[in-house]
Amino acid sequence: MLHLRDDLSPLRRRTFALALIIAAALGALELRFLDLQVISGRRWQRMAENNRLRKIPLPGPRGRIYDRNGRILADNQPSYRLLLYPAEARHIGETVLFLARLGIGSAAELNARIEAPGRQPLAPVAISSDLSWEEVTRIRARQTDHPELVIVRGFRRWYPEGRLTAHAIGHLRMVNRSELRAHPGLDPDTLMGATGVEALAQESLAGTPGERRVVVSAVGEVLGVLDETPPSAGHDLTLNLDLELQKAAAEALGDSSGAVVALDPRTGAIRAFYSSPSFDPNVFGGRLSTSAWAALRDDPEHPLQDRCVQGLYPPGSTIKPFYALAGLATGAITPQTRVYCRGFLTVYGHTFHCWRRGGHGSVDLTRSLESSCDVYYYTLGRRLGIETMAAWLRRFGFGSATGLGLPSERRGLVGTPEWSRSVRHRPWYPGTSISVAIGQGPLLATPLQLARAYAALANGGRLVTPKFFGAPDAAPTDLHLAPDQLKAVVRGLVAVVHGVHGTARSLAALPVAGKTGTSQVARLREGVKAKDLERRLRHHALFVGWEPIDDPSLVVAVIVEHGASGGGRAAPAAGLLFAAGASMDGGPDRGASLPGDAPAAAQVH
Amino acid sequence: MEHRIDPWLILAGVAILGASLVQLAALDRTLGGHLFLRQLVWSVVGLVLLLVLSRFSGTILQRLAIPAYGLSLVLLAGVLAAGQVRSGTRGWFALGPVTLQPSEVSRLGVALIVALWFGRRSGRLLKLGELAVLSILVGLPFLLVLLEPDLGVALTYFPMWAAAAWLGGLPPKVWTALALSALVLAGGAWELALKDYQKERVLTVLDPSRDPFGAGYQVRQSKIAIGSGLLTGQGLGRGTQSLLRYLPAQHTDFIFASWAEATGFLGVSFLILAYALLLWRITLAAIRAPNRFGLALTTMIGAWLAFQIVVNLGMVVGWLPTTGITLPLFSYGGSSLATTCAALGMVIAIGRERLVNL
Repeated sequence: MLHLRDDLSPLRRRTFALALIIAAALGALELRFLDLQVISGRRWQRMAENNRLRKIPLPGPRGRIYDRNGRILADNQPSYRLLLYPAEARHIGETVLFLARLGIGSAAELNARIEAPGRQPLAPVAISSDLSWEEVTRIRARQTDHPELVIVRGFRRWYPEGRLTAHAIGHLRMVNRSELRAHPGLDPDTLMGATGVEALAQESLAGTPGERRVVVSAVGEVLGVLDETPPSAGHDLTLNLDLELQKAAAEALGDSSGAVVALDPRTGAIRAFYSSPSFDPNVFGGRLSTSAWAALRDDPEHPLQDRCVQGLYPPGSTIKPFYALAGLATGAITPQTRVYCRGFLTVYGHTFHCWRRGGHGSVDLTRSLESSCDVYYYTLGRRLGIETMAAWLRRFGFGSATGLGLPSERRGLVGTPEWSRSVRHRPWYPGTSISVAIGQGPLLATPLQLARAYAALANGGRLVTPKFFGAPDAAPTDLHLAPDQLKAVVRGLVAVVHGVHGTARSLAALPVAGKTGTSQVARLREGVKAKDLERRLRHHALFVGWEPIDDPSLVVAVIVEHGASGGGRAAPAAGLLFAAGASMDGGPDRGASLPGDAPAAAQVH
Repeated sequence: MEHRIDPWLILAGVAILGASLVQLAALDRTLGGHLFLRQLVWSVVGLVLLLVLSRFSGTILQRLAIPAYGLSLVLLAGVLAAGQVRSGTRGWFALGPVTLQPSEVSRLGVALIVALWFGRRSGRLLKLGELAVLSILVGLPFLLVLLEPDLGVALTYFPMWAAAAWLGGLPPKVWTALALSALVLAGGAWELALKDYQKERVLTVLDPSRDPFGAGYQVRQSKIAIGSGLLTGQGLGRGTQSLLRYLPAQHTDFIFASWAEATGFLGVSFLILAYALLLWRITLAAIRAPNRFGLALTTMIGAWLAFQIVVNLGMVVGWLPTTGITLPLFSYGGSSLATTCAALGMVIAIGRERLVNL
């Protein structure tokens, strides 16, 4: 112990020396704090005031959208964005009043946005993404009073074709609460695709926003850039849509409500997709004001409704070819089977009229389609029975979504006794089956469903998936239709346009096959002519068909609401599209890919 | 020969811990988080560790040295193989809700093994061979931490080596040689090992106006925060620098800047006094230690803590480059807190064995 103690004294001296060095260091630090805080503290405090940090969002522009020929359908235009940094405002209430007086949003709306949960402290509130030049100058004039208001360059979505492509391209909306909850990093001012292609291709179109962090002085002057995450643009997208056909579709409908869908029956590529009345999608490019939204929503003509996939219509006589195929396949009829039409049929104690009161006389399959004889199909429907009819309609895609992918798409209705019991809670009357046999009653289809079902007739029996963009289905559903039976039905559809008695003879100059339809909106009372009805009670006019007859490349489905007559109104409308398709350089074939070709109908760049 | 637990050391430690918890609670309110509760739990764990270790005798601590050092090496090697990665550093074991940082804990093993080696040697000055042994004992875990890579924590091993070398005593020629090789090493590191951002950090110390929005940003914000605390501070949770999150790493490396903004020069002086008291009581325990082992252990612990305190404060006021060295007992972090408490427990244990007739 003793020798150890002796040994320790130099060590103790060294420890003590170490302690002195440390004490000196702590003393120096204490003096440094005295200098920083007490002697020059005011200077640092002033620097704190000139030490605001701002996050400036850098917009990642959305991808552009082109039609199949490279004409632009959705673009980005430079715009002035107004950002508000609430933490920098001297008095946020005054700022809100200032903005409200400028007419940029209401005070209540602005306050709600400023206080929205989940906003990061340094991130701005995007008050407007499209300031007018006048608003810009008025804000700039008061800039020194409101350093918290910052005008930056941004992009606004611009649809050069406006109403023409509104439903196909769709429009944008603000990101919603549940999406913000799922992706906490998301800017609450992000715009997302709401409908149409904008929604379908959201993932690919969306750009990634960047962010720049800058240090600014108390009066909003940018002193320096701290760091920057660069934005990246979304992918451009080329659609299958053809702007010329789209224009023809709009012209075809004119002022009427209705829808036009055109498909390439070989690939399902959507060539035209027009719903009328349309609306100007450019109002959705930025933040839509509540009043503008309400005006669109409450319009009695429902311009926001996409009639191509949301409009449910009784298909009327356009459904007849599918029953004809069912009859041939089940042996209920042969192409030579004749039915005598006296203008009506009395079954189940009820008289069902043919649209031609005088009757068609003796009618075979071809003639039944050519003249659209109702009595023939009343008879066929009785032979088939409702379950067989329903089963055959479902095979052609009626009553289910087409696979286009739009969440707003409706499935339509193929009514059966089972459906009537479980959904309607009403018994199924045998007479209802007779109505269904001519495409009335509990049978509803969208224009897209009709186009797709006719595409299967045109392409030899394959049910394709409609596509706005991207490669066609590698293996569309083969319906296994017997070629001779299909040929017999197609012969009837050719006769509709080119036959002596055809209901669509107005199209006889074009290589078109198809079927007219006139579906009842309201039951006719005795002695009242259809064309004398009030407009909203008039029949819907339909035509669905394809061109050219032998090697079809274009299927067109037209529905003119209250158009009164399929042959008189819808067929000429469809004719405009067929003419446009045929007059294109090299005919409607141009640019379309044949089955088996490399899927090149559309590319995502 | 048994003495009471040193009340002044406990007082200083608890004062710092209390201030830390108050500051973390304020940060929780402004930034939203659960730092306070987690650190409170760790504080209790730390104090229990401190009290348990303070009951140990010097002999038990000597016996623990080799197993502790061995375990440290195993943990350091293990974390390199199977550790969790946080911001580029593979340095954590996840054990359910808690994480363990071996690089912090291993300092205890190093202090013990070096003290054990130091206690067994005799002679006046360290020979070169002995310096090599010392360098290997400290250098092995140091290199393992450097591989994670965690330069900040690795640097905290250096004061223990320096303290042991200083205690052992070296001939003036060796000191000169060491100083020269340090210069060469620094130059070599500057050329070869240091990354650009690390060089920038060093350069901004020499010229604070350099790159005010890059490498100089953190330090500039820190100085603005400290300066605007003035004499009495802006109040806890009220500092605009802290509130608007301009200040980086507010709960760890730069927590003292938040404290300085909130409590002003008075709060700063209070904490510096508490640290001075803590270090002084450690010095006393070292000077009064009954043997070479106890003296070396407490001196090394004192040197390590003093190094962290001085380097962290030096960084916060812009005198030293930012290295990620935390402030003992004040920065948020469970492993660091528990390790510091355990070290203080050993200091108290040595203090209880002091020679009566000093």
